[in-house]
Amino acid sequence: MTEDIPTTEGEAVSSGDRVDGSTLAVVTIATTLVATILVFLFRPALALPMLLAFVFVTAVGWVTYQAEVARLLTLVATVLTVLTVAFITFFLFASALPAFLERGLGLLLIPEQGGNARWFFWLESVLPSDSTYWNPLSGAYSLIPMIWATVVVTIIAGAVAGPLGLFGALFIAEVASDRLRELIKPGVEILAGIPSIVYGFIGFQVLNGFIQTNFLDDGASFLIAGIVVGVMALPTVVSVGEDALSSVPQSMGDGSVAMGATEWQTMKSISIPAAFSGISAAVILGLGRAIGETMAVAAIMASGTQFADPLFDIFDANATLTSLIATQYGSASESTVDVLFVAGVMLFVIVAGMSIVSQYIERRMQRKLKGQQ
Amino acid sequence: MSDAYATTDRLVSADSNSYDRGLDTAIALSVVGFTLGLITLVNLVPPGASGSALTTALGTLLAVVVGAVGITGLASYTNVVPVTSQRVRGIGLGLVVSTLALTALAAVLPVTMATLLGTVLLAEALAITAAGVSSRLELVDTEPNMSAGLLSGGALGAVGLAMGAAIGGALTSAGSLLWLIGAVVAGVGLFLLAILPREDLGSTLPTAIVVGALGLTIVTGTIGVGWQWNPQTLSGGFTGGAVIPVFLLVGTLLSAWSAAKCRAGFGARGREYGAFLVINLNAFLMVAVMATIVVFVTVKGVGYAFHGLSVGALTALVLLTPALLAAVQFARTPAGTNDWNSGARQLFRVLPLAAVGALAATVASVLVTGSPLRYSYAYTVQVNRQGQALDTAFAVTPDTTIGTLLLIAPALLLAVTFFRSFGSLRKVGTQSERAGSIRQAVPTAVLALVVLTGFFLVFGPAPFGLPLGSTLGFAAVVAGSVAAGGLAVYPLVGVLTSDGPTLADSAQSEAPLFTLGVFGGLGLLLAALLLQPVAGINPLVGPVNLVPAIALGAAVASLALATLTTVAKRSSEETITRRLLTEETRLGLVGTAGFTALVGLHVAVTGTSFNVLGVSIANEGSLSWPMVMQAYIPLGAEPGGIMPAIIGTVWLVIGATLFAVPLGVGAAVFLTEYAEQGRFTALVEIATNALWSTPSIVFGLFGAAFLIPRLGGDESLLAGMLVLGFMLLPLVLITSRESIKAVPDEYRDASAALGVTQWETIKSVVLPAAMPGVITGVILGVGRIAGETAPLILVLGSTLNATAAVDVIGGFRFVSGPPFIANDALLTASASLPTQVWAVIAAGVSGSPQMGWATAFILLMVVLTFYAVGITARTYFRRKLNYE
Repeated sequence: MTEDIPTTEGEAVSSGDRVDGSTLAVVTIATTLVATILVFLFRPALALPMLLAFVFVTAVGWVTYQAEVARLLTLVATVLTVLTVAFITFFLFASALPAFLERGLGLLLIPEQGGNARWFFWLESVLPSDSTYWNPLSGAYSLIPMIWATVVVTIIAGAVAGPLGLFGALFIAEVASDRLRELIKPGVEILAGIPSIVYGFIGFQVLNGFIQTNFLDDGASFLIAGIVVGVMALPTVVSVGEDALSSVPQSMGDGSVAMGATEWQTMKSISIPAAFSGISAAVILGLGRAIGETMAVAAIMASGTQFADPLFDIFDANATLTSLIATQYGSASESTVDVLFVAGVMLFVIVAGMSIVSQYIERRMQRKLKGQQ
Repeated sequence: MSDAYATTDRLVSADSNSYDRGLDTAIALSVVGFTLGLITLVNLVPPGASGSALTTALGTLLAVVVGAVGITGLASYTNVVPVTSQRVRGIGLGLVVSTLALTALAAVLPVTMATLLGTVLLAEALAITAAGVSSRLELVDTEPNMSAGLLSGGALGAVGLAMGAAIGGALTSAGSLLWLIGAVVAGVGLFLLAILPREDLGSTLPTAIVVGALGLTIVTGTIGVGWQWNPQTLSGGFTGGAVIPVFLLVGTLLSAWSAAKCRAGFGARGREYGAFLVINLNAFLMVAVMATIVVFVTVKGVGYAFHGLSVGALTALVLLTPALLAAVQFARTPAGTNDWNSGARQLFRVLPLAAVGALAATVASVLVTGSPLRYSYAYTVQVNRQGQALDTAFAVTPDTTIGTLLLIAPALLLAVTFFRSFGSLRKVGTQSERAGSIRQAVPTAVLALVVLTGFFLVFGPAPFGLPLGSTLGFAAVVAGSVAAGGLAVYPLVGVLTSDGPTLADSAQSEAPLFTLGVFGGLGLLLAALLLQPVAGINPLVGPVNLVPAIALGAAVASLALATLTTVAKRSSEETITRRLLTEETRLGLVGTAGFTALVGLHVAVTGTSFNVLGVSIANEGSLSWPMVMQAYIPLGAEPGGIMPAIIGTVWLVIGATLFAVPLGVGAAVFLTEYAEQGRFTALVEIATNALWSTPSIVFGLFGAAFLIPRLGGDESLLAGMLVLGFMLLPLVLITSRESIKAVPDEYRDASAALGVTQWETIKSVVLPAAMPGVITGVILGVGRIAGETAPLILVLGSTLNATAAVDVIGGFRFVSGPPFIANDALLTASASLPTQVWAVIAAGVSGSPQMGWATAFILLMVVLTFYAVGITARTYFRRKLNYE
């Protein structure tokens, strides 16, 4: 059907009826686009000619009915964006489903030690346990060690990024002079821009050696990974927290200062409580970043799949959910790949959930501060 | 502490305020201690250092402190940068005093660094106790509250809990729960001591106890340099080398906080000072961490990254021209404003100009003397897993070859800059008949040349067996280029033969010739130049290449025009004439830069180098930067470079931008301008925000499992581009929406009131106003994805030592079956900067760390450049918006 589109297009233009012509143009463009997408999904080899047909039809439409075609194109861009998001989500879940159905709770095997399941927050009485918990050959895949590693790294990162981030946000929002703020704010942004692999390389080359000499460890450790990830999450906490503190209306602080309170009293008793939900949103978002961080963790900690022993040993090391995917995917068998998708879905759900929660908190705070509630 | 309240029986009086000075010194000592703690932690000076090593280190610190405080003091004394705050002055003095005291102590007594650090903590504890007690005894005038407050109490209680647990754990055997008792006793004790007494004691005594205990532990050697504690339950342990600095950091932070409270007289003010000190220290620490990362990577990588860099002196001069222009612009900017009167500011305005001038003169001296400028240094490479030092140098050679790219790029930049500052010469001067007819003929001639080019492009240089290219094409090129040369000289001749009373008058009356000469000449010569490669000819006149010779002549003629008008301008008094002449000068400079660019373009398209007066313009220039311009050389003596990775990253960024920007901006326009603001837009916003924070590895997983099987089944560049595009999409959408939303509704209303349709309004009002924000967002987003690694190692693989770069442009070919156009380069794996760094890590001991550092350094520079450009652009546009 694509071949006759240009001719119909030409006839429509010559008939001179703008309304009909524009409808026709919009309909043909939309049809070609849908056809292109379908072809890409089911016959990828033919996708390029279809794409060219779409471009041609669009170009013709752009010349004749620019306004309508522009509107359609922006709509198409929106739909494609939404489709991309929806499709990535759908595909992840669909790919994770087989492993989930096949193994179910077997993905959460609690490792055994000396015949008994290890203590894991009383979950060991609910979940199954086995002494082999990660062995692709025998089909044992437990994500518990990786989940725990993610939790430990995130806790350490939060302990670094939370307080430092709060103080940093306070500094930028309340303490610093205008000139200093203009210097430090871009500085924090640049800190966010340093690629994670650079952090990872520093950690791999330098910090692991530091840990060896100073903490008598074999190098890779949760401690260093957590601190590095904390520094990486710091800019997120600072900038979102700063936004929250800055959105507290000036009049609230002014009222406090007018009563004779010092700036610190105003901050402590007015700004921070008013912006508290925003600051917590910042911390949540920062923790989301920390959970999703891959390369620094993969570079610092080896890709081992052992289980931290004892649980709170911050000098131990094993793969987190993210670094498991990064390091295992290349050499993974098919069933391992399915399990990696379960890990991916876990990450996706947790981090997207954290993002949505923090957005909700932020929105509620904005509404409250604007007095619309 | 006002002097009015000071009485003679108090320590503080108008004459002697030793309380204030003492506490300022205590705060300063804490800062010094904190710095020393950091230095010891990163092992710049080991905690066991003593004797000359220690005195040298402290001496260096002393020099730094004295220099910093001294220059600030001098600036304050001469009233250039007045420092009025007593506290800042006191702390500055305290810094000098405490560093001096520590250095003297280290020089006189045989102490180690650890002991010295312990002494610092003990001194702090004593100072704080003295301050608290003297305040309680009402020796000094303070305003303490009834209690230090729950916040301070809680913080100190937590510290006590930790200390109690540690002491209890150390004293009792493993397994017993006595450490718990110790923790509770210490924690509760400190908490009560903090909140029960009056604030001046409550906020000093517990801190002094903690700090003093930490200091005593170090001084007595309970935790000494060689101390180790290796608990059974952990796979690691603690050493004195790590614990002592950490004690220092905690102790000095606490004592600084406490001393600051004392210094401001407790109460609300004291708490404010204490809190602000901590907040400021924290901000300083953040900046320090950032600077350390960047500086560290630079120091580690810069030697290897620039090995063997050499550049021809003439090339360096060409590259300096835009810098020179920028410096001139910078120096010119404030002319006429009051700022110009300030001597210091004037100096700073002129400084870049002077620097560029000095640099240019140095480079030019290489050309004159013929001896190269060399800066030699050594760097290490990994040969057979052994570090091996290689000598190399950064050199400016007297080579007079100029690469085409390095000629075209600056020349084009200059031409565009001059053209942008050029206004208009329409309706100026007298229109002669001959010039008018030439003006009409030029477009026809250009069109004819373009048609001819198209003809040869389709049918080849010898269509139907007829040698049209070497006959017709040759004639056309010669005619076109000679005519272009004539056009370029025409205004010069016109001005010189004009019968105006002065030079300025004739230059003004011949103004039409200027536009005709420059723009006509440029257009005609460009058309003739592009005809050459398609017709397969390269006309020579004797030994001289015709087209570039004419281009060079035209450039000289245009330069002569610019000089002529400048001279004429100096002799003219009338403002309007002077303005017109300035325009003509700019036009002359456009011509100079444009024709110079054409010389380079000729060499680029024909591939034959062009020599004149010993200067050679060739495709192979004299800039040699092995790290960036070479691939890995297997088994070579020289280590080669990472060009494949750089090219790969460039293509990835281009591909991702091409995918994400149209989609993102289009969606942002629809969501903001067309769609009704409601559930749907809110949902899309939440979804895009969620997508933005989705871990990058998840995108990689999607790309590896979905895209790769559909794109040839192998790791491929195209998959990498698409995956990075998915990641860039939400950011572009979010920032574009924000900047479109920020366009005031008045703009839209005003446009609608004029009867303009919605699309026209969006196209000509909303989008231009929102464009700066969109561009900034895109630049920042690109900076982020350029360093992205995790998804790439899944969809692009990671290659160590790639020997060939992807050739995307050359990879396109037409095939008979669908999909008709194929590009194998896009479907093969490629190296990229981030994956190259990962490859070094993954290779373990066989990877070359130096190579890794250099790659990381280049990656960092690329990303930071994107960020710097993005942030500068945003600041610039924001200022412009605010001042309008």
